[in-house]
Amino acid sequence: MGIADRRIEDGNLMQAVAKLTPEKIKAAYELVTKGEAGARLSTYYQSCMRCGMCAQACHFSISHPDDPSYTPVGKMDQTMWKLIRQKGEVTPDEVYGMAQIAYTECNMCKRCVHYCPVGIDTGFITSLVRRFCYRLGVVPTYILDTAHSHSAVMNQMWVKQDEWIDSLIWQEDEARGEFPNLRVPLEKEGAEILYSVIAPEPKFRTQLIYQAAAIMHEAGLDWTMPALPGWDNSDMCMFVGDSEMMGRLKRCHYEMAQRLKVKRIVMGECGHAFRSVYDTGNRWLGFKDWPVPVVHSVEFFWELLTTGKIKIPKKFDKPVTIHDPCNITRGYGLMDKLREVVHMLCDKVVEMSPNREHTICCCAGGGIINCGPPFKSVRVAGNKAKADQLAATGVEYLVAPCHNCHGGLEDIIGHYKLGMHTKFLGDLIYQLMEKTRAE
Amino acid sequence: MQTLYNFATGPLLWASFAIFLAGSVWRIYSMIALARKKEMSVYAYMSWGFSFRSIFRWLTPFGTLGWKANPAMTVGTFAFHLCLLLLLLFAPGHAEMWDYNFGLAIWSLPEWLADTLTVVVIACCAFFAFRRLRVPAVRYVTTTHDWAVLLLVFLPFISAFLAKMQLGNTLFMTLLHVLSAEAVLIAIPFTRLSHAIFSPFTRAYMGSEFGGVRHCPDW
Amino acid sequence: MKKRHLAGPFRAAALVAIAGLCLLMWLPAALSQEDIKELKPEALAPQTRPAAFFMHDAHNEKAGIDDCTACHHGKDKDGKMDPEDNSAGTACVDCHAVNARTGTPLKRAYHQQCISCHEQKNQGPTYCGGCHKG
Repeated sequence: MGIADRRIEDGNLMQAVAKLTPEKIKAAYELVTKGEAGARLSTYYQSCMRCGMCAQACHFSISHPDDPSYTPVGKMDQTMWKLIRQKGEVTPDEVYGMAQIAYTECNMCKRCVHYCPVGIDTGFITSLVRRFCYRLGVVPTYILDTAHSHSAVMNQMWVKQDEWIDSLIWQEDEARGEFPNLRVPLEKEGAEILYSVIAPEPKFRTQLIYQAAAIMHEAGLDWTMPALPGWDNSDMCMFVGDSEMMGRLKRCHYEMAQRLKVKRIVMGECGHAFRSVYDTGNRWLGFKDWPVPVVHSVEFFWELLTTGKIKIPKKFDKPVTIHDPCNITRGYGLMDKLREVVHMLCDKVVEMSPNREHTICCCAGGGIINCGPPFKSVRVAGNKAKADQLAATGVEYLVAPCHNCHGGLEDIIGHYKLGMHTKFLGDLIYQLMEKTRAE
Repeated sequence: MQTLYNFATGPLLWASFAIFLAGSVWRIYSMIALARKKEMSVYAYMSWGFSFRSIFRWLTPFGTLGWKANPAMTVGTFAFHLCLLLLLLFAPGHAEMWDYNFGLAIWSLPEWLADTLTVVVIACCAFFAFRRLRVPAVRYVTTTHDWAVLLLVFLPFISAFLAKMQLGNTLFMTLLHVLSAEAVLIAIPFTRLSHAIFSPFTRAYMGSEFGGVRHCPDW
Repeated sequence: MKKRHLAGPFRAAALVAIAGLCLLMWLPAALSQEDIKELKPEALAPQTRPAAFFMHDAHNEKAGIDDCTACHHGKDKDGKMDPEDNSAGTACVDCHAVNARTGTPLKRAYHQQCISCHEQKNQGPTYCGGCHKG
């Protein structure tokens, strides 16, 4: 049992590992554990009692009940604990395994925090293992490519400058068929709201921009979208372990809002991008919270619905269940607002158990889905736990306000033949809202 | 052996207290200094309210998701630590030490209760050993270090019990009790047992980060 | 605790019986100077540990103690401990009350008497079970 028994071939992992030497490995180990990490890693390593209480926390270990190498502590033992125990003297093959665990078998969803009496942050340790692997270049091909895209064009999907503006204008054009006076205001200085999205939206989920524009238009808001780099709030660099680039991306995002002198940034239905602005990227830049207020879609929709700017004449009549994305519930406490929004939109809500801050991860987040096709089977097999939970609700519709969650949930719904459909809040609001300004 | 016992309860005892105290202070101080150097965010997020909220919550048996999901471990952990602390402070033999050495008559547990608590601690050690051997998730991550500290903590209790019951050579058992307890004291700052001094801090930080940044309970 | 609920007559009878027993136990010691084998002062009853094993004559012979004041110290006129004053024949409890507020309580006095000497001389047991064996 262990990662060596389930090695998955990945182009860049193999290439990068072939170039490793004991000296390089040791140097990266020293840099990460002594140069960058501090008291938290040291105390966590020493006070982890190896009690195994976290085994029941992780969707990977719940889905593989007979294999202890999938438990949070089991994964720590094969990665960071092993590195520290052996003072960084590990073989390139072992580094391969560590990368495979850190990038594809831990979503950093932090559910295990609720199980650890000592208060050990396993997700944080995984991020340090990724940092170590990143310093050695041992990163799965697909996610590394998205990080390279960030470095080159400041967005995740190699979207070029003209393509971005073109996509926005295209969606404006489309939407004007329905709402004649609709605009997607670009670069409007001093607007109330700056709307930022993740690069996959212009790339292949363009209808989400259409829907957002429709909602903004219907609510009569003073909003704008940026034309220049910084428009992509996503952050794969945070997930590969490229902290320097993560910092640049967040600075770019915040500075874009400051340049446009907007009151606040409203962010699309994304989990990890939100994590990068309130938890990781801001810390790297030295902000305790954020230099420009950032509001997640869940909070934003809650405002629109409670203030009556958007009216729902008839609720969605089929029963739905709610998936709590870790980054905005366990990560930011939006579970109550999420429920209130869903109840304002839907007649019948069937809750999953466990839910709210104890939510079981979608198994796509934390960069895992971004590791691409080679590792798809890992996350689908690793999330039988969520599939069972979904099946137990017996409903057909699933609300999940996070792009990664959508991807991961759709994959398990397909694999386990659950016959469910995933919905963004934006989908439901666009579908159900009163369209007073439509033709 | 008697001479060794006098030495163990004399100079060696003071030395182990000194190493334990100085070691703990040094370890905590160096961690605080390291956090100040590397992780200022820890200071930024630390909050008294959220820290104690988390600490008290986790001190409540079955008060957290982790405790609820592991009922046997919850009973074992709480019984072990509670009995250990009660015996450390109020074992009748320890009270006699306070009385004889410092003229302090402190309250002590009745003999029968102290004996029972000792058996409970021994049983908990056996339970922990059983988990390390038979529960796959625990067995997978158990190292020699974990066995060593479990044995180290087990020794003072089994020897105290045997000495009290006058089974085996009483002098040897009493000596073993004193020496192993001193070894535990010395080991606390430098081994896995350092959770005794660090866990209030790790718990407090987790409580603060979840309360202040994540707006969400950490249990 | 149950004793408290005993009815009056029973309680009186019990007290008389206990007093009688105490007198009876005094009797042999007063009549004959039989060798002391253990220290089991009634004042400390009920004992929670076995009585301290102590062969008076054999102990003194082995330890080479001729002077009674080595253990049986007395007190001066201020009530302070006087190592010169011989108190042999007086029971320890006569000066060292069990719950003494001033001075040394009885149990502490016994422990200090035996253990400190054993420690100083590095001879004789200093651990609990060394004396309290049964």
